[in-house]
Amino acid sequence: MSFRRANAEPRWVRLLLTAVALGFLALFLGLPLLAVFVEALAAGVPAYLAALVEPETRHAVLLSLLIALIVLPFNVLFGVAAAWAIARFDFKGKSLLITLIDLPFAVSPVVAGMLFILLFGARGWFGPWLSEHDFRIIFAVPGMLIATLFITFPFVARELIPLMQTQGKDEEEAAVSLGASGWQMFWRVTLPNIKWGLLYGVILANARALGEFGAVSVVSGHIRGETNTLPLHVEILYNEYNAVGAFAAASVLALLALVTLVAKTIVEWRMHKETQMLEADLPPEKTQ
Amino acid sequence: MSISIQNISKRFGSFVALDGINLDIPTGELVALLGPSGCGKTTLLRIIAGMETADAGEVLFSGREATHLHARDRNVGFVFQHYALFRHMTVFENVAFGLRVKPRKERPAEAEIKKRVMDLLGLVQLDWLAERYPSQLSGGQRQRIALARALAVEPKVLLLDEPFGALDTKVRKELRRWLRRLHDEMHISSVFVTHDQEEALEVADRVVVMNHGRIEQIGSPDEVYSNPASPFVYQFLGNVNVFHSRVHGAWAEVGRDEAAAGGESGEGGETLAFVRPHEIDIERGPVAGGLEAEVQDVHPIGPVVRVELAHASELIEVELTRERADALGLAKGQHVWLKPRQVKVFAAPEYLLEDGGSGI
Amino acid sequence: MSRVLPGFGLSLGYTLVYLSLLVLIPLGGLVLKAGTLTLAEFWQIATTEQAMASYRVTFGASFAAAVINAFFGLIVAWVLVRYPFPGKSLVDAFVDLPFALPTAVAGITLATLYAGNGWIGRHLEPLGIKVAYTPYGIVVALAFVTLPFIVRTLQPVIEDIEPEVEEAAASLGASRWLTFTRIILPAIFPALLTGFTLAFSRAIGEFGSVIFIAGNLPMVSEITPLLIIAKLEQQDVVGATALAVVMLVISFVMLLTINALQWWAANRHKGRAA
Repeated sequence: MSFRRANAEPRWVRLLLTAVALGFLALFLGLPLLAVFVEALAAGVPAYLAALVEPETRHAVLLSLLIALIVLPFNVLFGVAAAWAIARFDFKGKSLLITLIDLPFAVSPVVAGMLFILLFGARGWFGPWLSEHDFRIIFAVPGMLIATLFITFPFVARELIPLMQTQGKDEEEAAVSLGASGWQMFWRVTLPNIKWGLLYGVILANARALGEFGAVSVVSGHIRGETNTLPLHVEILYNEYNAVGAFAAASVLALLALVTLVAKTIVEWRMHKETQMLEADLPPEKTQ
Repeated sequence: MSISIQNISKRFGSFVALDGINLDIPTGELVALLGPSGCGKTTLLRIIAGMETADAGEVLFSGREATHLHARDRNVGFVFQHYALFRHMTVFENVAFGLRVKPRKERPAEAEIKKRVMDLLGLVQLDWLAERYPSQLSGGQRQRIALARALAVEPKVLLLDEPFGALDTKVRKELRRWLRRLHDEMHISSVFVTHDQEEALEVADRVVVMNHGRIEQIGSPDEVYSNPASPFVYQFLGNVNVFHSRVHGAWAEVGRDEAAAGGESGEGGETLAFVRPHEIDIERGPVAGGLEAEVQDVHPIGPVVRVELAHASELIEVELTRERADALGLAKGQHVWLKPRQVKVFAAPEYLLEDGGSGI
Repeated sequence: MSRVLPGFGLSLGYTLVYLSLLVLIPLGGLVLKAGTLTLAEFWQIATTEQAMASYRVTFGASFAAAVINAFFGLIVAWVLVRYPFPGKSLVDAFVDLPFALPTAVAGITLATLYAGNGWIGRHLEPLGIKVAYTPYGIVVALAFVTLPFIVRTLQPVIEDIEPEVEEAAASLGASRWLTFTRIILPAIFPALLTGFTLAFSRAIGEFGSVIFIAGNLPMVSEITPLLIIAKLEQQDVVGATALAVVMLVISFVMLLTINALQWWAANRHKGRAA
């Protein structure tokens, strides 16, 4: 057919651009992902499996999971509280608050880690008091938890604030006018409405918590078998020229990344469907 | 339950939403709060519901102080403009919500809840939709479910915010009649907010016309239409021709007589005369006190004929019955004489003068 | 403000306490620490030759990475929005890989790929191009990490361009290229700039993906975050603090720039309509 829409490029331009885009993505994203698994299996499957069950690797996996597991509930609680305050009420300094919530995204992870060394390190503000009471934060798990909290806390809030702003407060006001208490309103109306957005934020925060390197690296002290998360363990193995070990550990993280992408896509699809349903709902007068 | 509103004022920042509102709503009455957007009608409704706090003044329910009563304890049914149905609950669960969240002691048994909900759905004629979700309903169906949900807690007062605003014309007419019937059956006091004069005049027992946070007039639909208390009410309810009295000497004369009867013309000040298009007669020959005008256009619209006439530079609109128009046989360019049957004169408020005072 | 909805005090209070403990107090600690320096001392530490070299490497590589991404990211976003091809939704989801993949994994993989004997480095070496363990390696790592920022910022804006506008341009006789440069590019430019700034901002703070491929030669391929860590390891907390303050100030400026850009993008046509 010789007919061409007015706003379409010639066929050869479209093919060229598509080829450039796909080629770029394949070379730039696809190849590295593939390389992780190829390098991990370079010495054969048995060597790969042996590297995975190595005690220090196992410990690193568990520590990473533990940190994520502790950090996520805090993120959820903070995200919901911040979004509730920001999306449902007007108060002075609201836009400043939103900017402050974004701050950890702008700060270099290394600087983030360093902030806590200045507070809790041996020569930090609270250092002497901590050592007097024999409590370690820096070069120990608590410090890594705090650093991860800092790095990940905007994710849930940033997802929920725009979502709740779009949804509006009508349904919650309706619940209250029908006699619901605060908790009844929250559990029966608010939470079901934001569950997908909440899950989305949790997925992103979880990926970051599991993969965080810079901030955790600064506060961890790299004590093998004690304060090594999986990404830190990858670094140690790599620097010891244990390529198979490093890439075996990296392959676990890469798999988690793929799981994250899949989960994220599913949730995005669900959310998209819900907004579509909602938009289709709006009476014509309101969509004008 | 009767509602009494005493001296309610409310500001949002520097914007005055309500300015000393006084209003009494007797038990069983259906009242319309009518006004343009931003006139404060929705704010007043939300204050009655307890969703908003007044800066000053009091709300009394059945003579009892309710100003500081929490929304959940007011026993008020509120229907939101965009329904605010719980999107993740079925129609049944939406209507059952108010019963399910009652404290354990007052909560009806499951069988009782089911019966009450199905009765209500029967009342709004939608029991066959019980298992659907809100997104699967049409606008009119959603509106009725929102009503059923509000009625489930057996409120003493029903408050509706622009109940028909988001519906198309045909559904709107049906629902109006239906709401009227429902109100009469339920024996409750109802207040609804609207910007649509036709809706207010057709449905309500009493109409409260609001503008700029103040009440302009309270009265029966017939009163506010036939005997508007202010230029604003005149202009807001129905079409009207506005004349600068000074410009049209002949009309001012008619106006002065009328002014004594209820207008508020200032002595010697600028005055405006208001005449509705259907309250003007057209004569082919000169009449005493008549105003000469030239026919510009004749539009037959269904049962009436709208005639546009020019007097000097002003446009005048007259509505005739088809019979009268046929008898007159008006043609473009023809010179005729106009005689008003009813005129009302007001001292000219500034906002009207700024508009140039041309009729609608 | 609605008075019926509960939990304002509780939620705002919790938010503020949490934010203070986690962000404001630590930042305050940094500022206090920096306050122990005189301005002259601060300036002297922040502008040593090594520090200046690290700024040049960090900002130069970040800028280059953002430019590369602005170009390829625009093509990727355009193709993903406009052209149908099999597996499109998979490719679309895949674009977020750099967000999901831990930076350390990206770092060791890119270092291996671009090393002299790696899959890619092997073909570049004979051409006299060395990527791994040079500043070019830093650019590659930063481009990898920041690609999604540009694509994800551009996609919704390209989706929002009304086809009618392009059709109108075409019906008025504009060539496709002219339509692109005169109609489409101006429409997406604010988003491109926002994406560029987001990518740049993330790149200057990036650490994990860079250190493996950079070679970390002082004065040549040492980024500022690494210099901070080096100072911390030498117990030079004051030196590290000074550099951290510099980074932090730049972060703030970037954050404000991004906010201003987004505001501009949202409001730039409002004045004209009035």
